[in-house]
Amino acid sequence: MILSTNRAALVVAFVLLPALASAQTVSGTVTDASSGQPIPGATVVVLASTIGVRTDVDGGYEIELPPGQRRLEYSFVGYRTETVTVEPGQTVVDVALEEDLLGLDEVVVTGLGTSVKRSNSAISVETISARELSEVTTPQTLDGALNGKITGAVVNSNSGAPGGGINIRLRGITTINGNSQPLYVVDGVIVSNDAVSNGTNAVSEASGGGNASSQDNPVSRIADLPAEDIESIEVLKGPSAAAIYGARASNGVVVIRTKSGAAGRTEVSLSQTVGVASIQRTLGSRQFTAATAEATYGPAGLAAFNAAGGRTFDLEEELFGNDGLLLTTNLSVSGGNDRTQFYVSGIVKDDEGIVAGTGYEKQSGRINLTHRLSDLFEVDANANYVRSVANRGITGNDNSGATFGVGLLATPSFVDLRPGADGEFPDNPFNAANPLQTRDLATIEETNNRFFGSGKATVNLLTSATQSLQLIGVGGVDYYALDQANLFPVQLQFEPDDELPGTSSLGRTTNLNTNVQLLAVHAYAPEGRDLSFTTQAGLTAFDQEFDNVLTVSRGLIPDQQNLNLASSIQTNQNRFFQNDRALFAQEEVSYRDAVIATAGLRVERSSANGDVSDYYAYPKAGLALNLTNLGVLEGGAVDLFKLRAAFGQTGNTAPFGSKFTTFGTSTIASNAGLVLEGRRGFAGIEPERATEFEGGLDLTLFGGRVNLEATAYTKVVDNLILDRQVEPSSGFTIETFNGGQLRNNGVELGLSLVPVSTDLVQWISRTSFWANDAEITELTVPPFQAIGGGFGNTLGSIRIEEGRSPTQIVGTDEDGEVVALGDVSPDFQMSFFNDIAIARRLRLTVFGHWKKGGDNINLTELLSDLLGTSPDFDEDNDGDGTADGLQRLDASGARRFVQNASYFKLREVGLYYDVAPSLFGPLAGGLRTLRVGVSANNLFTITPYKSYDPEVSNFGSSPVASGVEVAPFPSSRTFNVHVRVGL
Amino acid sequence: MISPRTAAAALALAVLASGCDLVEVNDRPNPNGPALEDILNNPTEAAIANVAVGVESSARTGLGTYLADVGVIGREYYRISPSDPRLTQDLLGGGSSVLDNNTFYLLTPWISRYRTIRNANTMLVALDANETLPDAETSAARGFAQTWIAYQYLLNLNLTFENGIRFIEPGEDAAGEVVGYDEALDRIAALFDEGAQNLASGSEEFFFETTIGQDVPQTVAGYRQINRALAARVDAYREDWQGVLDALDGSFIDSEAPLTIGAYHVFSTGAGDVQNPFFFALGGGGEGVLAQPGFVDDIEDGDTRISKVEERETARTFDGLTSKFDTDVYETSVSPIPIVRNAELVLLRAEANAQLGDRAAAVQDVNVIRNNASLSDYAGDSLIDEILRQRRYELYAEGHRWIDLRRYDRLGTLPIDREGDDVFRQFPIPETENV
Repeated sequence: MILSTNRAALVVAFVLLPALASAQTVSGTVTDASSGQPIPGATVVVLASTIGVRTDVDGGYEIELPPGQRRLEYSFVGYRTETVTVEPGQTVVDVALEEDLLGLDEVVVTGLGTSVKRSNSAISVETISARELSEVTTPQTLDGALNGKITGAVVNSNSGAPGGGINIRLRGITTINGNSQPLYVVDGVIVSNDAVSNGTNAVSEASGGGNASSQDNPVSRIADLPAEDIESIEVLKGPSAAAIYGARASNGVVVIRTKSGAAGRTEVSLSQTVGVASIQRTLGSRQFTAATAEATYGPAGLAAFNAAGGRTFDLEEELFGNDGLLLTTNLSVSGGNDRTQFYVSGIVKDDEGIVAGTGYEKQSGRINLTHRLSDLFEVDANANYVRSVANRGITGNDNSGATFGVGLLATPSFVDLRPGADGEFPDNPFNAANPLQTRDLATIEETNNRFFGSGKATVNLLTSATQSLQLIGVGGVDYYALDQANLFPVQLQFEPDDELPGTSSLGRTTNLNTNVQLLAVHAYAPEGRDLSFTTQAGLTAFDQEFDNVLTVSRGLIPDQQNLNLASSIQTNQNRFFQNDRALFAQEEVSYRDAVIATAGLRVERSSANGDVSDYYAYPKAGLALNLTNLGVLEGGAVDLFKLRAAFGQTGNTAPFGSKFTTFGTSTIASNAGLVLEGRRGFAGIEPERATEFEGGLDLTLFGGRVNLEATAYTKVVDNLILDRQVEPSSGFTIETFNGGQLRNNGVELGLSLVPVSTDLVQWISRTSFWANDAEITELTVPPFQAIGGGFGNTLGSIRIEEGRSPTQIVGTDEDGEVVALGDVSPDFQMSFFNDIAIARRLRLTVFGHWKKGGDNINLTELLSDLLGTSPDFDEDNDGDGTADGLQRLDASGARRFVQNASYFKLREVGLYYDVAPSLFGPLAGGLRTLRVGVSANNLFTITPYKSYDPEVSNFGSSPVASGVEVAPFPSSRTFNVHVRVGL
Repeated sequence: MISPRTAAAALALAVLASGCDLVEVNDRPNPNGPALEDILNNPTEAAIANVAVGVESSARTGLGTYLADVGVIGREYYRISPSDPRLTQDLLGGGSSVLDNNTFYLLTPWISRYRTIRNANTMLVALDANETLPDAETSAARGFAQTWIAYQYLLNLNLTFENGIRFIEPGEDAAGEVVGYDEALDRIAALFDEGAQNLASGSEEFFFETTIGQDVPQTVAGYRQINRALAARVDAYREDWQGVLDALDGSFIDSEAPLTIGAYHVFSTGAGDVQNPFFFALGGGGEGVLAQPGFVDDIEDGDTRISKVEERETARTFDGLTSKFDTDVYETSVSPIPIVRNAELVLLRAEANAQLGDRAAAVQDVNVIRNNASLSDYAGDSLIDEILRQRRYELYAEGHRWIDLRRYDRLGTLPIDREGDDVFRQFPIPETENV
């Protein structure tokens, strides 16, 4: 609700001022132009004043014009805004509003307490509506629903495991070692998007080899927030838009507004989705002969091959071939009266994954309330409790053979791993684990209980015909308690290997985010002038306390899970905190809605900085020139022609611990020892600073049928927080410091069209294009491998090097020289959104996404070659008599692992039909609307990439190092059937 | 009805109630462990004791990778990893593979050793700053730290050999220039000597717990014996044969005692402790260590050390390497890993005597080893060959063969298992050293 306070202020202002009624009174009705139905709740304001009213339930209004003011503006969400000049003596003005098919008149965020119409904005702000987010198909998690929908973003799913886990980079690379994910703000509250490792490293031992990351693809916790409750998402992509969020906003800000009720009839909506998920793409497996079995696996291979007697067994199908049932039920009730509005929803989701036993469940309950105590005082309260359960299995890299992926790759097709008649699983002779046994007997489950709550109080301290002053206080909490319980029972093939059969682990994480924000907003519109001013100033306080305890017990008493029923118990606790305090002020000046200038400053200090008392300043400025409103380019085909330019700075505070040099503990023979950790702290650590210049033009033509938005930006990040590998002979391996610079240049183009708009057919089309070019322009240290950036030069790694892209892949070539081999970042991306409505009842939506360029390091293929199971191992494409698999193994250098990961994905398709009320029959009394539909997700993918999915990241949401693939959880395709009933 | 004044007052009260918390940020310490500065500024006996325990504990980090490196290149065994090709490709020089200067098999042990050195150096700085400990206790602790520092340098020098290593002084932020093999060995020997002197003038007991001695006393004197044992090894590497004999005089060498007495890294399943990183289940199809077939092919009949490998039901083939035997030196997940033990000392004495021309003394020690393995007395005439052979079998999977053959320039005698494999002589200096 914070977004529209300025307008609310204007509305309230009117109510106070009956005494000023010396002037003309105007009344009338606001209706929908196409249906003729009245529009209740539409806003009518007197331009260049602070006077406004809302229409009643019949669309009626009455407003008094102060002397000298004649222009009225009519607006409502989803409709184009109309401006009418009242003739002298005219007392009745009826207005029919046209539908805003392209979203041209929606409001966008410009301040913590203010918003502005898109047509007046100096910055490009991406808005994703509920319709685009969750109504084409049913997304499993919020993060997945964003993919491809943000112009200017590189969004990458880390794996196909149920429950989310995504890497979002807005406008290129903004950090090498800091947090790289955007800030998420829900109803004014900064919420947690932590990713907590699930403890499976205890058996996968993934961190024990070439890379210290546990590589378990944790869930990004923003996935907890139910997409179905979201009204809209605004994405502040760069510093020029995000500067108001200061020191944590360099990666952009995702501002989420949840749904709210409207005065009038109580609306009840019940929807049910039933779907099925299946593997999107299979790889197959090598078919052996006695000779190849022996050549690859020796005598043991030959014996096993002969024992199989020619039978083969499709382990991939057995492991990843589950058809997962997807169920989502959503009930929402909303409504209210003039003073109180409410939105209540309950969501139950139960999705199975493509691996039997995996899945994702969610139960959510939300209440959003708005209450006006008086004309002076208004309160909002939002509360959301979410419980989610994810069973994601165990996939990705390991050093123990325990994961599904490595187990699959290690097992030749003549080995049958299914249980025998006695129900006992056979040992896998070619791997430490039988992945089917692990799948069926192990438990890998994370359960999160989370509460989002926020409250807002608005006080209208002062209102007059020319001025208003509001005080706004916002407070919020986001608390979660995450349990990650894993059980690997003694029966598992690999469990006895460490002589401590049976592993039980429990990770307990609690995290509390608290937010307080106080601000004053002053609006001033001098009488008879065309200028208006909006001033705001305030302070914010943000606190986070994170506490993770992981206990791993080995040597379990059979059939037991309790951590104490074991012979070896290891516990590790990790805590972090952050305290940020900021002061901010902003001024917006508008001249006839034609020239809109904004300037603002935020100063902020943080516990993450070396000196916690230092303030860091983040300024911003913007200028929008609406040439149409200026009288230039008015009339004809042009509805709007706007030029805009903006500048802003944001920060990115250092990751927790950067300033400390700390001892860890290491016990030997029951004596507790202290060992210096590998990180050398830097006591003077400062935030990174991103500076952005953005310019663009917005052009609307032909009565709102064509809209072009073009933006170019250059974003420079200075004072980078770099985690460099220090010379290990110092005894440390990593040191954080500030230095260096990187630059992103990019363009974003959005073309929205309404090619057909008749009563029968209405077609809305939106095509976006975006490209970003990043370069490290200054690096004060020698080149280094990005943290999490692969496994060294022989397998390809992501190297930070001056003059190069921060996502470049280097590796050894055929001669052992380290050379550039590729780049993870794409050349450009495009998205295609088409929405065709027939007779306003049948609606087809198709959403496609094209990523051109960008490479992955495909180590799945390497492992399958090494383990002798690549499906094309025995092919001989170059006809030289040597099998391709052998040839790949013998080839030296990392070049063969670096593969083009371009793709085109038909991400979402939905077809819905609104049943005409005349067909409701006996239900006509109770039923208001009935919608039925079908949809599909990831219907197909076209890619040259040789694995399950070109979207992959073994290292999760690491800042630059996505695009490394090691035996991942394959991605899925879903088909859904939907029914929605409105009562 | 709430007046504007009431409302403003309520908001103002709310702000006041939360107080300065809305603008102030406290400077909080890291909750996850003591800071380095805390211990340097307040070097109490208890804190130094914790750091000393940390030295012994951290010396175990990366040992599994070290044993993979030296044992695989020395063709003692194959370290099989279904999820990492480099242990069977890079280390064996498969195809055109070379040893990478920025990969875990080098970085993990290299970094781990320097971290232990950093810990021991921190101990030395803290001991200098401490004003309450008696001199004898300080001296003993100094000798402990120097012994460990010297041993950690030696392990890294074993990897990089003639590419050299870097030395870092206590309290310094960065190490010095790379020092070549011979000079590095001299400096390591000097460090052992200085440590031995400090131990000699130290108290009877350390003021912290030590763990490495097995049938060598856990006292300062026992630590000095271990120090001398390692110094003897360094002298052998330096071909200072008289130095070997002199150092052994101060060590725990005892040809009457079990060959297993000595210094060991110990492991346990207790809370916070680690298990033997080179323990692998036998007979499996996953991570494991296969004996290089030559171990069995070349063994003398009746040699009881055949028990160091275990025959599998069927031979295992992986990445073109085949063996029917698993290496079975570390039998449990908490088996200790030798740092230096009596068998090596007896063989060092034999080697030194052989080099100095005292064949009788050398043969006597060789026979101690042979008889212990149920072999008859040595009767041949290529004594150095026999000593190397006994070192191969007696010290199997303890990290010696590659280094032994290298110092006798016999790496060319190692078997090549696959066409195109290479026997590497040394690891490069890690790329991250920027040298």
